Amino acid sequence: MYPGGTRPLDGYTIKRGVGQGGFGEIYYALSDAGKEVALKLIRRNLDVELRGIRQCLNLKHPNLLTLFDIRQDDVGDTWVIMEFVAGTSLQEALEANPRGLPVPEALAWIHGLGAAVAYLHDHGIVHRDLKPGNVFSDEGVVKVGDYGLSKFISCSRRSGHTESIGTVHYMAPEVASGRYGKQLDVYAMGVILYEMLTGRVPFEGESVGEILMKHLTARPDVSMLPEPYKTVVARALDKDPEKRYPSAAEMLTALPPPAALPGMNRLPSGGRREEKSEGAAGPEAGIWTEATDEEPVLRLLRGKIHELRTWWRQSRLNTPARIGLIVLAALVLLHSAPVVISLALTACFVYGIYWVIWSLVHTGSRSQTAPPVSGSTPTTYAPPEAAPAPQPAPTVLRSPVENHRPWRRHHEQPLSALVLGPPRQRAADLLGSLLLSTLAAAAMTVVLFLLSGSSRSQPLEIEQLAWLFLAAVAGSWTVLIPAKLWEGTLGDQTLRRFMMMILGLGLGVLACGLASHLLVNLPDNPKFHLWQPGLAARGFFGEDGRPLWQDYVAAFGTLFLLVRWWRQADPLRSTRLSLKALIVTVVLAFLAADAWDFPQPWLPMLAAAISVSVQLASPWLGHHRRMHPRL
Amino acid sequence: MKNFVLWIDAVGSYWVCLGDVVTLGRPGGEDVDVPILGDLSRRHARIRRDGEGYLIEALRDVSVDSHPVRPAAALTDGCQIELGGSVRLKFRRPHALSGTARLELAGSHRTQPTVNAVLLMADLCILGPRPHSHVLCRPWPREVFLFRHEETLSCRTTGEFEIDGRSCRDRGRMTLNSHVAGDGFSFKLEEI
Repeated sequence: MYPGGTRPLDGYTIKRGVGQGGFGEIYYALSDAGKEVALKLIRRNLDVELRGIRQCLNLKHPNLLTLFDIRQDDVGDTWVIMEFVAGTSLQEALEANPRGLPVPEALAWIHGLGAAVAYLHDHGIVHRDLKPGNVFSDEGVVKVGDYGLSKFISCSRRSGHTESIGTVHYMAPEVASGRYGKQLDVYAMGVILYEMLTGRVPFEGESVGEILMKHLTARPDVSMLPEPYKTVVARALDKDPEKRYPSAAEMLTALPPPAALPGMNRLPSGGRREEKSEGAAGPEAGIWTEATDEEPVLRLLRGKIHELRTWWRQSRLNTPARIGLIVLAALVLLHSAPVVISLALTACFVYGIYWVIWSLVHTGSRSQTAPPVSGSTPTTYAPPEAAPAPQPAPTVLRSPVENHRPWRRHHEQPLSALVLGPPRQRAADLLGSLLLSTLAAAAMTVVLFLLSGSSRSQPLEIEQLAWLFLAAVAGSWTVLIPAKLWEGTLGDQTLRRFMMMILGLGLGVLACGLASHLLVNLPDNPKFHLWQPGLAARGFFGEDGRPLWQDYVAAFGTLFLLVRWWRQADPLRSTRLSLKALIVTVVLAFLAADAWDFPQPWLPMLAAAISVSVQLASPWLGHHRRMHPRL
Repeated sequence: MKNFVLWIDAVGSYWVCLGDVVTLGRPGGEDVDVPILGDLSRRHARIRRDGEGYLIEALRDVSVDSHPVRPAAALTDGCQIELGGSVRLKFRRPHALSGTARLELAGSHRTQPTVNAVLLMADLCILGPRPHSHVLCRPWPREVFLFRHEETLSCRTTGEFEIDGRSCRDRGRMTLNSHVAGDGFSFKLEEI
């Protein structure tokens, strides 16, 4: 061990030791001019090491640690002069996150690592010693080091050396039979990906022998991983090298692109975790939101409002003039309130219908143009030599705008499986949501009362308010409980709709029971009917024209079939309270009530109350927390 | 008061300032204690240890937690210092009972030579595996304390260790260029 201040190699002063690798010691040193380098002293296995390293001296890749030179000192020891990386290693990142890295961060690491490995493979070199201690982050750029052990792929892919190399946790089973092909690195990448996502290596054991035996025989447990990671890890960890991905590049194409979330352009470098949350939420994040395809009318409206605001801010009006303008505008609005409100309501209604049709059409066209799901495995099986050339590396892990595809959002939702807490935590969350939804329902009932009072019709009676409140509470609980069970999974929508419909039928019975118990009268307002008569049979109504339980059941069942309620409780929804979701719900409730001649506008009012309560009460992960789920 | 770099094997490098007043600025300026390679003035800011607390004095544009500093502001644990709009530092006081503070460079800017952090050393500096250490040395089996008494530095830890080849037990006196090695740890001081 050389202490700091010594100069074993002319021109370089050792400052401190960095670590001890299996093949020698590594030091941080300064050249006489002040250049920072890492010096690696090779003490044993000289021939093996040197042959490999000479082949790598002139490799150039942004994700590879640069090798500058190989020199001999006066004693005859050999030194490799390498680029020094000030940032953290993946090992340190894993130690800091014992339960696994956030998914975007893991993706950024694996893509950088994969690009470097693909480049090495393309130059006929197998790394053979991939492990988190050999992968670094230098100001956000992934750097793979220690490829000194790399050796040329021999034609027979068999090596004369039988010694065990690498760290056993990342060692592929075929090493036992002395085979050192490219698939060795694919296996190690699979182990590293598994470790980044779960915080554990797939095969643990008390002794080296036990771990090696598991590599040879045991099947890795990938059940806790969501797709596509489950498929990718399982295939990369196949015992048979021929069944693994033929190249690192192909393994990468099966994974989502790095930094699919805004603001996660780069890896955090050593001790600079704050940077990514504060610094990176700048212009790129804005571009990302604008790039999402927005409904054209809404975009136009938003643009106009933005223009108006810019004009207001930049106009040279003084404060009294501004106040005067505001007062004038308020007076005009108040004076023409009935006209304005009715116009606005009509516009909202027409827009709501238009929006439903637009989004249906748009979703259809989108799903047709969407690329294949990233988890699909390639069908062609190229021999290792003919593997496709690696793609130019994602050098700095940026997310260009075209990288974001709106359809991804739906694929990202199962990622929340990694965010889910233990069952007890989820039960506590649910209980909190149920209580909160009760409060929200009470607030919504008050809002509806005030609204009914402001319009010129009869204000709501106390029994009607009680019915609205109780039915809204029951309705939101009907949504929140199954949504909690479905959270973080991507189930069959038809099945979910069907189950919601059954729950809706039950809610209809309950609402009918409440109405008769409270002796509440739900008068019908004929203005709110588009067509009459609807689908309801004559037997659905009593002699006084009041709806019987059959009509309740039909209307509530239809409402719960039409609206995808669970999405309003999804913690990964785009905003906590979505106006769009509210409008869609109200419009669908209106149509459902109209279809079954249910007294109007009670169902839309109730649906609005349920929608707002559900959205306010169910947990919501903001964009920041999605990127750092464990903060 | 002098400054030195603490080169810790297998851990990292630390720039240690012993003075009660520390000037931050561009390399090359006279009496700059912490030279940072950034778009700064020669003397950009001054950090003053005042009893148990720290004050930053702005000589050019400086902000703390996005609030412009003029002429001075107090520094609290975890606050973010911005010098000249681009150089960002995080101020930490990891140990409640010690006046020593740590400045972490939060962006891509560096000192020359590169260090992991700058230590503003009061009377005691703790190197060790526990999170409240001024220098976190994960692989170390125990803590090592650097003490300052008037103009002399000494090192204290349990058991035997060597300072510049001379063996010591529990404590020993150091110079600003000493090499210290013991069971599971070694580091070197280099005066600047």
